[in-house]
Amino acid sequence: MELLSPRSVRQKLVGLVLVATLAAILVAILAMIAYDLRLYHTSWIADLETQAELVARTSAPALAFDDARVAQENLELLRYRPKVRAAALYDARGKLFARFAPDPELTFPSMPEADGVRLDGDDLVVFKRIVNDRETLGTVYLRADYELYDRLLGYLGIAAVVLVAAMLVAYFLSRVLQAVVTRPLLAIADVAREVTEKRNFSLRAQKLSRDEIGMLAEGFNTMLAEMERLNAELEQRVRERTAQLEYTNRELEAFCYSVSHDLRAPLRAIDGFSQALVEDFPKELPEAAQRFLSRIRSSTQRMGQLIEDLLNLSQVSRVSLERQEIDITEIAKQVTADLRGREPERRIEISIAEGLRAEGDPRLLRAAIENLVGNAWKFTSKTERPRVEIGARREGAPPTFFVRDNGAGFDMAYAAKLFGAFQRLHSNTDYPGTGIGLATVQRIMHRHGGRIWADAQPGKGAVFFFTLEPDG
Amino acid sequence: MLALLLSLPALAQTGGRAAEIQIKAAFLYKFGGFVEWPPKAFVEPDAPFVIGVLGADVLAGELEQLVSGRTVHDRRVAVRRLRRSDSLAGLHVLFVGQSEDARLPEILQAARGQAVLLVTESEDALAQGSMINFVTVADKVRFDVALPPAERGQLKISSRLLGVARRVISG
Repeated sequence: MELLSPRSVRQKLVGLVLVATLAAILVAILAMIAYDLRLYHTSWIADLETQAELVARTSAPALAFDDARVAQENLELLRYRPKVRAAALYDARGKLFARFAPDPELTFPSMPEADGVRLDGDDLVVFKRIVNDRETLGTVYLRADYELYDRLLGYLGIAAVVLVAAMLVAYFLSRVLQAVVTRPLLAIADVAREVTEKRNFSLRAQKLSRDEIGMLAEGFNTMLAEMERLNAELEQRVRERTAQLEYTNRELEAFCYSVSHDLRAPLRAIDGFSQALVEDFPKELPEAAQRFLSRIRSSTQRMGQLIEDLLNLSQVSRVSLERQEIDITEIAKQVTADLRGREPERRIEISIAEGLRAEGDPRLLRAAIENLVGNAWKFTSKTERPRVEIGARREGAPPTFFVRDNGAGFDMAYAAKLFGAFQRLHSNTDYPGTGIGLATVQRIMHRHGGRIWADAQPGKGAVFFFTLEPDG
Repeated sequence: MLALLLSLPALAQTGGRAAEIQIKAAFLYKFGGFVEWPPKAFVEPDAPFVIGVLGADVLAGELEQLVSGRTVHDRRVAVRRLRRSDSLAGLHVLFVGQSEDARLPEILQAARGQAVLLVTESEDALAQGSMINFVTVADKVRFDVALPPAERGQLKISSRLLGVARRVISG
């Protein structure tokens, strides 16, 4: 089996040698057998013809002078040729004149055939005319063993033994000698495997031979060197780019933070002085001016909120994540209690599943839940029987939490825009907001390795699902 | 010729005087093939091989029929019927029939030392100088061979012929 479907070059080489040896030996043996059998055939026939000629010659006088006894004696000399199984002399009329056969059961042809040699079963049969002084005196008949098939069988036996022996020798020799070819190759293969496994491009294959495999090793090493150089170059470039990016990012965040931070001071001044104007000069200011001031204040407050949200968003990216066991049910209860406290006049049905637990950063998750529940609270403000549900889908991993409301909902066609910063699906007048909340939530989920997605229908409500771990 | 050869053993089996004569005639002719004559025995290149028959006319007749168209040592074979007074010169084989028994010693003496194969059919003929003498054994025609007279006549008798002789007297 090993030879039929070799898995390694070593086995292939050994197999190759064995097949070649087998073929060579088979051809050689067959040629030798064919040659020998041919030789046997021709020489045995020649031998028998000579024998027949000799018998003819020695028996000629006996036939000429009608002396059966002498003829018989002549024939019996053939007992020294044990391969000759039978011999006979026929006189000129074709009548059996003398015969000889160690095996008494052998029968003799009643009439001689034409001169020649032919195969008769396992025997060779020779007929030879006895001619003396141009006169045909009779015919010699010889029947001899023809051992072609026995010889063939014998040779095949020897061939089988030789073949087995040769194959064994070839097998062991090739097992030993294949190393000459495979060792340099295996050395390269080993290096290649190590390079692949360890991604270590500094390894080099040893050049163990000056042949094609040596060239392969050289080529391989050249490639490795090139890869090592490219890899180093690439790493260097990545390092440089990363450093640049990190620098730019830090700059950007610092800029963002300071801008947001610095924007708050003048805003507070505008808001504060507007408030002062309204409170300190209630009589001097005409009603229209007071209305304008109040709009200035609400605008500054909205801007303040915007800045606050932006700071939060940038903070989500900057703070380090602290994972710990969190009771989401508890957070949701606190958040809803907070909302009820702010707008005690709203009648809203809130259902929170018990025992919602997850691993995550408590501060970030609270911010996310505040956002999601806050949205639900906000978008149900115009619903007749507002309802908000916070729960988890039991099946599947990782656990999927959801916040469902029966509020304004949205068209799923815009779902892709939902989580982009400053993307709003409703006008500010209908539902006030900065458009940063969901972007912040998504960033929080991503930082946990989870994701957030939504399902909604306009006027019927929306569900936000989120996970805190990578899928699958 | 083949017909005669084929008929030979059959006649031998039937026995009888006629058969015996035919066989002797055939043997007489065949002896030539197993004997070598000295070159001087053939004067001319195309001289025939001559078989002389004395005192056996029936046999001579058979022989004449038999040898027509045949050769011995690549020579045409001629049969010569001899009379008592005839010379032996030019003969290669001389057969003396039983009827000449009385004169046999004389005839053999005359041929002594000549390159002529002497064939007889008389008891004791070999002792008198004959080279080949027919005998009948169990109704079969056989022959004895005496080598010394042949050697004297510078004739070489093939050992193959000796192989089928009943008896060979040598030295």
